Amino acid sequence: MRRLLTMALLSASFRVLPSKAQAPGPIAAQTYQLSNGLTVVLAEHHTAQVVAVDVWYDVGSRNERPGHTGMAHLFEHLMFQGSAHVGKGEHARLVERAGGEESGQTEDDITRFHETLPSNQLNLGLWLEADRMRSLAITDTTFGEQREAVKEERRLGLDNQAYTGAFLDGLYAVYDSATCFGYAHTIVGSMADLDLAGTAEAADFFRRYYAPSNARLVVVGDFDTVEAKRLIAAYFGDIPRGEVPAPIVCASDSAPGTRRKAVTDRLAALPAIARYYRIPGHDQADTPALELLSIILGQGQDSRLARRLGHEARVTVSAQSGIFTTRRGPQVFGVFAVASRGVTADSLDALLAAEIARAAGEGATEAELTRARNIHRASVVTDRQRAYDIAESLQHAATFHGSIEAVNTGLGRYESVTVEDLRRVAQRYLSAENVLVLTVLPGGTS
Amino acid sequence: MSRVLRLAVLAGCVASGAPLSAQEYPATAPGPTPLTPANLPPLQEAMLANGLRLILIESHEQPLLSLVLTLPAGTVYDPAGKEGVAEMVAGLLTRGAGDRSADELNAAIENVGGSLSASTGPDFLTIQADVLSTEAALAFELVGDVTLRPAFALGELEVLRRQATADLQNELSEPAAVGARVLALGLYGTHPYGRRATPQGISAIARTDLLSFHAAHVRPGGSLLVIAGDLTLPRAKQLAESTFGKWAGTAPAPLFPKPPVHTRTETILVHRPGAPRSIILIGNLTFTSTDTTYLATLVASHLLAGGKDSRLARSLGHQHRWADNPESSITRPRGEGAFEVSADVPTEATDSALHEILLQRRRIGTEPVPAPELEAARNALAGSFPLGIQTVSQLAAAVAEARALGLPATDLRMYRSRLSAVSALQVVKAARRSLRADSNLIVVVGDGSRIYAALTHLGPVRLVSTEGNPLTPADLVVRKGPVDLDLSQLQPRTDSLIVLLQGRAAGTEVTKLEKTAMGYRYIDESRITGFVQQTTEIDLDARAAMRRVTQTGKMQGQDTRIELAYDDRRVTGSARVMSPQGPKAFAVDTLIPPGTLDDNAVQALLPAFRWSASARWELWVFSSGENRVEQMTLVVTGVGKVSVPAGEFECYQAELSGGTQRVAFYVTTAKPHRLVRIAIAGAPIEFVAAK
Repeated sequence: MRRLLTMALLSASFRVLPSKAQAPGPIAAQTYQLSNGLTVVLAEHHTAQVVAVDVWYDVGSRNERPGHTGMAHLFEHLMFQGSAHVGKGEHARLVERAGGEESGQTEDDITRFHETLPSNQLNLGLWLEADRMRSLAITDTTFGEQREAVKEERRLGLDNQAYTGAFLDGLYAVYDSATCFGYAHTIVGSMADLDLAGTAEAADFFRRYYAPSNARLVVVGDFDTVEAKRLIAAYFGDIPRGEVPAPIVCASDSAPGTRRKAVTDRLAALPAIARYYRIPGHDQADTPALELLSIILGQGQDSRLARRLGHEARVTVSAQSGIFTTRRGPQVFGVFAVASRGVTADSLDALLAAEIARAAGEGATEAELTRARNIHRASVVTDRQRAYDIAESLQHAATFHGSIEAVNTGLGRYESVTVEDLRRVAQRYLSAENVLVLTVLPGGTS
Repeated sequence: MSRVLRLAVLAGCVASGAPLSAQEYPATAPGPTPLTPANLPPLQEAMLANGLRLILIESHEQPLLSLVLTLPAGTVYDPAGKEGVAEMVAGLLTRGAGDRSADELNAAIENVGGSLSASTGPDFLTIQADVLSTEAALAFELVGDVTLRPAFALGELEVLRRQATADLQNELSEPAAVGARVLALGLYGTHPYGRRATPQGISAIARTDLLSFHAAHVRPGGSLLVIAGDLTLPRAKQLAESTFGKWAGTAPAPLFPKPPVHTRTETILVHRPGAPRSIILIGNLTFTSTDTTYLATLVASHLLAGGKDSRLARSLGHQHRWADNPESSITRPRGEGAFEVSADVPTEATDSALHEILLQRRRIGTEPVPAPELEAARNALAGSFPLGIQTVSQLAAAVAEARALGLPATDLRMYRSRLSAVSALQVVKAARRSLRADSNLIVVVGDGSRIYAALTHLGPVRLVSTEGNPLTPADLVVRKGPVDLDLSQLQPRTDSLIVLLQGRAAGTEVTKLEKTAMGYRYIDESRITGFVQQTTEIDLDARAAMRRVTQTGKMQGQDTRIELAYDDRRVTGSARVMSPQGPKAFAVDTLIPPGTLDDNAVQALLPAFRWSASARWELWVFSSGENRVEQMTLVVTGVGKVSVPAGEFECYQAELSGGTQRVAFYVTTAKPHRLVRIAIAGAPIEFVAAK
């Protein structure tokens, strides 16, 4: 160990990086509302002959109640199982025939559905979204099939990869289920809850959350705004408005002191550590500094964890950090690391804690801040090319920052972060009082 | 929620909200409207004095830049016997160049949020960099360094060689990949498009091979630098000139042998004993990259097996339930390309499915295509095209590929309108020419003992092993029994092996063979830190037949224990083992064929096998982890030098297949035979002799 640390010190020299900023090209978009409450955002973008149709419903796993978890995700599956004019499984087939792509995804706060199509098939994308919003078919058969599909997804996905299930479950153990149930259960939910759920509950879920007044339709790409408005009015205009869903309450209490949890993972060959810190909601002022700090700590091969703990000290085989779920309510800053062979979970955790303490003590250098800003800026700019990426940026701005205008002003919040901000947020949030430490050990049948 | 709605209303214009008239809502999916014309920026071109062509697609919409350098240094230029050199060169370019080590190069690009990569295809080697346009100078510097001043460091070469060998072994355990190799070789003969990397070729590559390949083929003459994004032509020229101006030379243009002319249909059956399904591949050579029938052929290929509405998806999938995803493809290298259709079908349906594919293939070239079907195919193909050219990175890559293939500058701009103009008659004519009905190469990978006879009813069949060696129908007869052992090779000895995980030492295996009153005892102690700790004792009688196996230890923290007694007909006992689903315990009482080996004993007895360069053994092996007898094949796949910590040895390389994992054993050619290396296909684990 002593030899490794010496090596780490010897190679710690670090080059100062260029620091030139250039604003990303602006996105021109307009937004309006249909009389039934559907919010529409249109952004013409004629670079490529494609359109993206992107619908976000303001519902996610956070809307679920105790005993009814997993419903938001199961419902996302049901949205592909047919509606009044679209047969079972036909949604994907129609998009494939047009040469397009489609997807659906459930998060904590929202559920998204999207099609990217050649621009001469804008009508198809709008019609497919309108048809399932107005007339989703929910039958005992499709409900039962999709419930099994969700279980299979869990078996083949999370339960079949070392660490993923344990790390993800840990994210939802940070907040107290008594005061913040919405963020204290996983998206995939409890299989026992799903087994008790039926079509009546699904129909109620649809009425409650899948109304136009609870959705935002974003269309980006090579279309004519007048024609798009005409089609949207024709396809979506007479879908009835829904009731306003109950507000979500998440009382993020003050730091409860260091908490520890240990689980076993039968697929894991090596011990691993996850450290989860409570941080505020996405729109809060400290988010940019925390995001840049997560890049400095654990994103990329030249991040601190990869360089110092991985490459130099060789105590981890992989290490990363990030804010893995975007929420309006309180979020989680996560640091994950898998130990190298021969390194115990306890010694890895002590080294991780020391790295994090270093961020709060010495802080970061200007060069590290520049690197993090560069990486963040490049990802923001890169996401302004594909129609779907632009649509997602607009949805994000409207949902998490309250206005589509934030798509053009958001980067400024990151450019003004200072090294002092980084140290301040590290001290404030990445403290021993504010952490849940999860130890993952090989073995068992978890 | 209400907050979001309120803000949206404040931010927005007035809703247009014309109320719906019921007649306006379509009851069926609305069809496509007319295509809008492509909106690609013009291509600006310049030529450097050294022959490097520069193409700029200028777009200032976002401050982004993508550089694609295309060099005529593809796999066709691999020296014979060293297939894999071009891929190895591409892999090493970004692992250290100029005054940067691999890590420093990675940091330089990562720290500006960019990416840098190199890859190779049949004709071309491609280097691509993506950055914010403020980093234009850095992008040119890095592309210049990796192109002109790669380090080809020995350490990086060995890391890449290990990865490439493991990837290749993984590939060779996939029946579809084995079939694709046999098809390419059959179609192209001695033309280099038919060659593929081999483990022997990869192990033979030395640093000097990389240096001479780089010196000969990485040259500006005939190379192409495509830049897309936020840069002007004068600045692009200036950066290209300062980066590449002093570079000189033109890569040699060797004459390749012409691919063979196929005048009749041939069938090759790749025998894979015990395979539950068959892979069918049918291919023929087509045309060079600039052929004007490409788009009509693409439509024909889509009608046959592109997507879920295709003719084969309907007949093989919906109608017969044989195959879910038949596929067709047209490879389009610079030289002669190929058309290929493939399906993965149950063994018992192999001949019927093959017959159906040939029938559907012939129909496309003989019967008129119904108008709705033609339109659907054109729509799907034209529709997906613009999705692939939305970013500067995609645009640069698409322009570079089109230009490297010798296509006109208008190719991307005109692609959709030309595709939409393809007529039914053009499709039939193109299919008749390029989806040949009379001179195909058919490759079937499957269990020959179950499908050979049926395939011979469709025409003559050539039989080969998965290694490509010729077989006769007699080889298909399952002949398993006691292996004829050379007992003089079973002498008391102790061997130490080091366990390497991803190339790093992770444990040891010590084996010991003793003579006993009854016959022989073999003891194996394996330790992989934190993972496996296991002791195996095997008793053999005087003929080295199985008598008793005891294994105790821990795997992933779980106790494991196996106790088995063998007689000539039966194995009995109990086992508690680890499986991917967790620990499992079961009683064993299984009838076995005479001569069955315990899977733990194979390694012990290998030195007593009668080795030769063409040796092949069919074995019955009892796998205690699976609690079943498996048919396995051990085949010598090559002879060559193997370097391990214990020294360099000339070895037989033999592959054991038929179990859950393919395992390669390396046994010295010199007697007494000694096992010096074990590698598990598809897993980063190997065992090497320590002393």
